[in-house]
Amino acid sequence: MKLNIDGLLVYFPYDYIYPEQYSYMLELKRTLDAKGHGVLEMPSGTGKTISLLSLIVAYQKAFPLEVTKLIYCSRTVPEIEKVVEELRKLMEFYSKETGESNNFLALALSSRKNLCIHPEVSSLRLGKEIDGKCHSLTASYIRAQHHGDPSVPVCRFYEEFDSVGRQVPLPAGIYNLDDLKDYGRRKGWCPYYLARYSILHANIVVYSYHYLLDPKIADLVSKELAKKSVVVFDEAHNIDNVCIDSMSVNITRRTLDRCQNNVDTLQNAIQKIKETDAAKLKEEYRRLVEGLKEANVARETDVYMANPVLPDEILQEAVPGTIRTAEHFVGFVRRFLEYLKARLRVHHVVQESAPQFLKDIFDKVCIDRKPLRFCAERLRSLLRTLEIADIADFSAVTLISNFATLVSTYSQGFTIIIEPFEDRTPTIANPVLHFSCMDPSIAIKPVFERFQSVVITSGTLSPLDIYPRILDFRPVTMASFTMTLARTCLCPLIVGRGNDQVALSSKFETREDFAVIRNYGNLLLEMSAIVPDGIVAFFTSYVYMENIVASWYEQGILENIQRNKLIFIETPDAAETSMALEKYQEACENGRGAILLSVARGKVSEGIDFVHHFGRAVIMFGVPYVYTQSRILKARLEYLRDQFQIRENDFLTFDAMRHAAQCVGRAIRGKTDYGLMIFADKRYARADKRGKLPRWIQEHISDGSLNLTVDETVQLSKHFLRQMAQPFRQEDQLGLSLLTLEQLESEEMLKKIAQMAHQS
Amino acid sequence: MLVSSYFADTSGTVIMDEEPERAKRWEGGYERTWEVLKEDESGSLKATVEEILFQSKRKRVIESHGQVRLGMMRHLYVVIDCSRSMEDHDLKPNRLTSTLKLMEAFVEEYFDQNPISQVGIITTKNKRAEKLTDLAGNPKKHITALKKAVDSVCVGEPSLYNSLSLAIQTLKHMPGHTSREILIIFSSLTTCDPANIYELIKTMKTLKIRVSVIGLSAEVRVCTVLTRETGGFPQHTIASLADQDAKPSFSMSHLDSSSDPGLSLGGYFCPQCHAKYTELPVECKICGLTLVSAPHLARSFHHLFPLEAFTESPVEEHQGDRFCQACQGQLKDKSVFSCPACRSVFCVECDLFIHDSLHCCPACIHGQCAT
Repeated sequence: MKLNIDGLLVYFPYDYIYPEQYSYMLELKRTLDAKGHGVLEMPSGTGKTISLLSLIVAYQKAFPLEVTKLIYCSRTVPEIEKVVEELRKLMEFYSKETGESNNFLALALSSRKNLCIHPEVSSLRLGKEIDGKCHSLTASYIRAQHHGDPSVPVCRFYEEFDSVGRQVPLPAGIYNLDDLKDYGRRKGWCPYYLARYSILHANIVVYSYHYLLDPKIADLVSKELAKKSVVVFDEAHNIDNVCIDSMSVNITRRTLDRCQNNVDTLQNAIQKIKETDAAKLKEEYRRLVEGLKEANVARETDVYMANPVLPDEILQEAVPGTIRTAEHFVGFVRRFLEYLKARLRVHHVVQESAPQFLKDIFDKVCIDRKPLRFCAERLRSLLRTLEIADIADFSAVTLISNFATLVSTYSQGFTIIIEPFEDRTPTIANPVLHFSCMDPSIAIKPVFERFQSVVITSGTLSPLDIYPRILDFRPVTMASFTMTLARTCLCPLIVGRGNDQVALSSKFETREDFAVIRNYGNLLLEMSAIVPDGIVAFFTSYVYMENIVASWYEQGILENIQRNKLIFIETPDAAETSMALEKYQEACENGRGAILLSVARGKVSEGIDFVHHFGRAVIMFGVPYVYTQSRILKARLEYLRDQFQIRENDFLTFDAMRHAAQCVGRAIRGKTDYGLMIFADKRYARADKRGKLPRWIQEHISDGSLNLTVDETVQLSKHFLRQMAQPFRQEDQLGLSLLTLEQLESEEMLKKIAQMAHQS
Repeated sequence: MLVSSYFADTSGTVIMDEEPERAKRWEGGYERTWEVLKEDESGSLKATVEEILFQSKRKRVIESHGQVRLGMMRHLYVVIDCSRSMEDHDLKPNRLTSTLKLMEAFVEEYFDQNPISQVGIITTKNKRAEKLTDLAGNPKKHITALKKAVDSVCVGEPSLYNSLSLAIQTLKHMPGHTSREILIIFSSLTTCDPANIYELIKTMKTLKIRVSVIGLSAEVRVCTVLTRETGGFPQHTIASLADQDAKPSFSMSHLDSSSDPGLSLGGYFCPQCHAKYTELPVECKICGLTLVSAPHLARSFHHLFPLEAFTESPVEEHQGDRFCQACQGQLKDKSVFSCPACRSVFCVECDLFIHDSLHCCPACIHGQCAT
């Protein structure tokens, strides 16, 4: 249907629209008009993606000079594929309605692992191996060698692309990863480099967060994207953690040992090259004197590792003299390495700031700040000069040099924590140096500054105001939309007590309490008897889950549960978990029924959807607080308090509640879906916890369902499940939660939508 | 005009002229009609759910189910879940007892409406399926078996696969022109199957066996798929247990009679005063309305519109085929009878039969069907 969104003609590829989609588009339009940033929350399964796409595409068509590009960032490859499929549907609708062929180019981009079509390289399993192998076939010096000596292998796909591909732009259309691969195969071009090249002139790019947020990758891929782009971060409730992870470095003894090997290899290589081709090193030296600017104009394939910080001025300067020659630099790295080794030989925990660390390193081994800053850049240059093909081996020394550059560049927002052993195993020495970023805004700041509109959206962003604070930006629109429903298909219940009136809680003091564990077991047992098909249960951590499950086993609760349903358990091992997941789905499919025990913050809680019968109930055992004894967390909390005036408790609760919401939100993936959401902890009943749940969950929590016993929960659930089992068809939604164009344009509905937007 | 005078009469106050009132409508407050529509006092949208249910009920009455058409000769296996979950007390006194009780009524009703059909009963418990009764056309046998089954213990898990394959074994030998059906009354939420049930569903589809499911607890995915694939009625789950007829109550007709005033569950309710009666026809003791059921009305309907007498004419005058339209026999008598509406001719025997028993002209009906 064709919609009129605040004066903008929007093509919407479906015959029906949800009212919240309409208001979502209104808000989005406002954000784009203001050329500002926005934070929008809308429940999953209400068509966020298509609303975003249809509005922004319409905007691009209407104002081609205002918005030139849409950069859609998603988390996983399946999600990326889903977005592209929606886009394809939209574009088909466009060409059907307007009758003209489209000149839109949209494509997905992923790593080499998903795009490589080279028969040998793509058969490798690990992403790192593929990257390394690819580099060894496409690096410029390899290709130069190939020129002289054709026996040196190169990638024919890249060669083909390099010689022809660049002149002919990718024809307009929608390309998902497979389409790119097909196209690449047909033409004999490398799809990965084709995609990377094509995003420069594509209208819509769909890729992973990391291509924008992780400075090491962003520099390679997203450097030349136009300022007039709209950036969308979908499923962005964890964006702060992504930012932090991309800037943090962990160094263990093993890293250092491997780094030592790397350095030795480098040394040998330098020796060898000195004997055979001393001119090369001289040439490099000359280049470094002239500054990195020129060195940076390298071929794209060489840029295997980028500088993790890249403030522009660094590129203008010349590399300091102390590390200009190759031997000196290797010696320098060696010295730095020895220093780190010495630091790791501590017996107590050390925490210091970056300036402290720099001062200490200057005092002890006379390493200045400036050469440290150039470490990453210098290593890159050296590796290129030495023509080392298999770069994957050098990940350790790369890591160390990244660390050196980061620690000397940022004086604020980072902390260094050296722990001699893990908290859980205080007897086993396993020293780790955490160089931890505490300020997510450091990584995302360039994005906010560079692009005119950045939209952060997800199903669970509540409370909305905290994201602008921790990411340090000022949004022009902030809105939370709820799900309009023709029937109440979600049923959040807070179970506060067992049948014996013992308060249920996962808080530290009662964690080992027998009565609590037994009552949790009873809850699961009773639910397993009344909920059809699949139940997903989340625990706060693996340790807690292990304890509880062991205890249930001893008490015979597990055995009773197994009479009703099969039990599957998520483990930290990805292969094991996906196996369990597969079997779980099979059991739900054929009527046996199953329970999946998993962990909040785990793989299951983040990426797996339990539609319809795969998740008729989600039980959240306890409040998933992050492990508060961790020193990194403590440092971060302190930083948040000092810099952003966010109290520790507020942040912890916010973090716990967003994960809880993520977990329970797994069950509802659309309006025809239904599911129970059981919060088994009495702390959820408190206003400060409950108030941080997303609005679409909150508004269904009635006062009557705040502090239930297990029995009451069972009664309410039974009733709910019976209600929901009644036949429900699309026609029943019409006019209430699903609108045709006429209904949408009716006076009454517009008023109602305006009302909805007001509340947020 | 009429309306305003009506108001004036009933309320005793004078209603103002309507014109200025309408002109000021936008000056009034917001009319939040959507709120009135949907939310009940607890803020939930339960009312709308009921509304939806009600509408679909209506629909079921108005239009028959598109995908399902019941045949004349039916072979039906009823699978009764006798697993542990049947001991649940949410249906009083427990699920098993009430299910079996209703089954008795069902069997009677079934044979009443499908006199040339057969029914068989299978129970499933402890991962096994057993035949309670074979396919047979005699209601008595089934009812005695059902009565006996009340005392059986409910243990273990049901097995959909086993009970379906047990039913298939017999049903697949039934002739193709009869309809083969399975009705499952499913109380448990799990099933213990020895093999992949989806294979079985495929075989049932090829055998044209239709499966319908009545769920007692909640919607189970495999049942939904089962009914959808085999073309049965969509899985029906009992909605709420607080129906009026779930509460035992006295019948009005028993109140004044001294013979034992038993409590009964079902019954007929007077549409005016909601008094309950167990038997019809009866005159309501409270409001005096005559209460009858639809079949009663149908049976007496023809008296209202009696079939017109056929015109008698000598056989010599009749043109065309000398066959009776009804019995296809030769017209041997000296006079024939023709329907004034469709001009079909009948012999004297058929004329009598039509007027005494059928009350409608078969040729007219046939003509209506054809068009």
